[in-house]
Formats: sequence, structure tokens, C-alpha cells
Amino acid sequence: MTTSKTANRHWAILLAFTAMTVLIAQSSLSGAAFVIPVLLITLAKGRIVIDHFMGLKGVAGPWRWIVLGWLVTVLGLIALAFRITGETP
Amino acid sequence: MQAILSPTPLTTRRDLPGDLAMWCFILAELLVFGIFFVSYAFARAADVALFNASQLHLDRTLGLINTVLLITSSWLVVRAVDSLRQDQGRQGARWLLAAMGCGALFLLLKALEFLAKYEAGISMSTNTFYMFYLFLTFFHFMHVILGMVILGAIALKARRGGYSRADHGGAETGAAYWHMVDLVWIVLFPLIYVLH
Repeated sequence: MTTSKTANRHWAILLAFTAMTVLIAQSSLSGAAFVIPVLLITLAKGRIVIDHFMGLKGVAGPWRWIVLGWLVTVLGLIALAFRITGETP
Repeated sequence: MQAILSPTPLTTRRDLPGDLAMWCFILAELLVFGIFFVSYAFARAADVALFNASQLHLDRTLGLINTVLLITSSWLVVRAVDSLRQDQGRQGARWLLAAMGCGALFLLLKALEFLAKYEAGISMSTNTFYMFYLFLTFFHFMHVILGMVILGAIALKARRGGYSRADHGGAETGAAYWHMVDLVWIVLFPLIYVLH
């Protein structure tokens, strides 16, 4: 179970990741150097929500892997779509 | 000998938080949102210039503020459920009201964003980008409204002392739905507002 102290820490990390996304968006980065970090940060944020806010880490059964699998699949397909346009290597 | 035949597991696996039916509903919702996210990405690949040009007219700052609001509301809901697990119903209700406040601000900012687009003459038929943008964000908007109703019901019950250390499954069920709404936005924000 998520205790209050760890929940506070995860909230701060999520806000820091969000700030990083915006900093990358405002940078002069383009192509893969832009798309991949944004998607990796999204993956990290999603994993925190799934594991700690939804509380699926340590839960019996395949639930955590199903929801994490959804996130990885969706972000992977988005990366593939951007690769089609030549924006990732 | 018995100990060798029946080893004690090193870690104890917890039960799924909340109701199984809600988790099935959450998976169905994630599937639907996932299909639309991937459809957006591949539709964009077919007309990158149009999507990039249209995206420039979005207010990224509003999207950022909305992201902070939903992440904060999700954290407040975690704090609320923690309080309910410790038999602190009134404290839990206060956390939930704060989470609903963040949700209400999210809805207000989103409504202002929709209004600005409407006044600019933008609709779902303007182009493919706006079709996806308006549909996805409005679909998510409706989920936030439903989530607010669920949080409100939990807050009312919590205030009346309806949850305890032994019985707080209903609160966990509603919280799981709210976190799903947050998770979907965590993907939606970079996809629609940031990636170009």
C-alpha cells in the first residue's frame, strides 16, 4: 500500500517529469531526440500512476502487467507512427 | 519435511484494490482510448504538415496546467484512501473535496479551451487534427465529469463514517477509476499538445 510519505514523493516526481516534458517541448530538439525522451518520460509517469497510485504493484494476478502492457503497447505504436514520418531513427 | 513440501512464499501478493468489475471496466476504457491514441498517431503520419500546423494553435500552457491539476488530484485521492484505511473518514472526505476542486478547475479550463476554439470557428469538421483533438479531449472531459460524481459519492459516504479500516473497498474502486482518468491524460497531453 502507498503510504502518505511515498505518495508525496511520487507526486513530486510526476510534477518534475511534467516540467521536463515542457522543457523538452520548448527546446530546439527535433526528430528522435525530441520524440523519444517525451515518450520515455510519459512511460515513467504512467508507470508511477499504475504501480503506486492505482496500487497495482505487488497485486496478485496479471493486472499490473495488463495495464503496463497497455501503456507500453500504446507508446510503442505511437513511436512507430512517428518513425514512419522519419521523426525517430 | 512439511516445510520443504509447502514452502512459505517470500513475498505476499495483495488482492486487487477495489471491485473486479471496475477493473474490467477500466481495461475496456483503456482499450478504447488506446485505439484512438494510436489512430491519431497514424492519421498524423499521413499528413504531418497539417497536424503540426494545427497543433500550433493549441494552448500548451493550458494543457500543462491541466496536467498538473489531474496529477495533483490523483495524489489527493491517494491521500484520501490512505486516510479512510486509517478510520479517518472526515480527513478522507477533505482530501476528496480537494481532489474534486482540482477536477473542477480542470473542467473549467477545458471548457474555456473549447469555447475559444468554438469562437475561432473551429469544429470537428475543420480538419482531421481537430476532429481527433476535439473528440479525444471531449471524450476525456466526460470521463472527468463521471469521475467527479464518483469522488463526490465517496466523499459523502466518508463524511458519514461509511468506510473503515476493514471496509474501504468502495473508496478503492472509485479511486481506481479516477487514476485511470489521470493515466489517460498523461498519454493524451504529450500526444496532442507536445509531440510534433
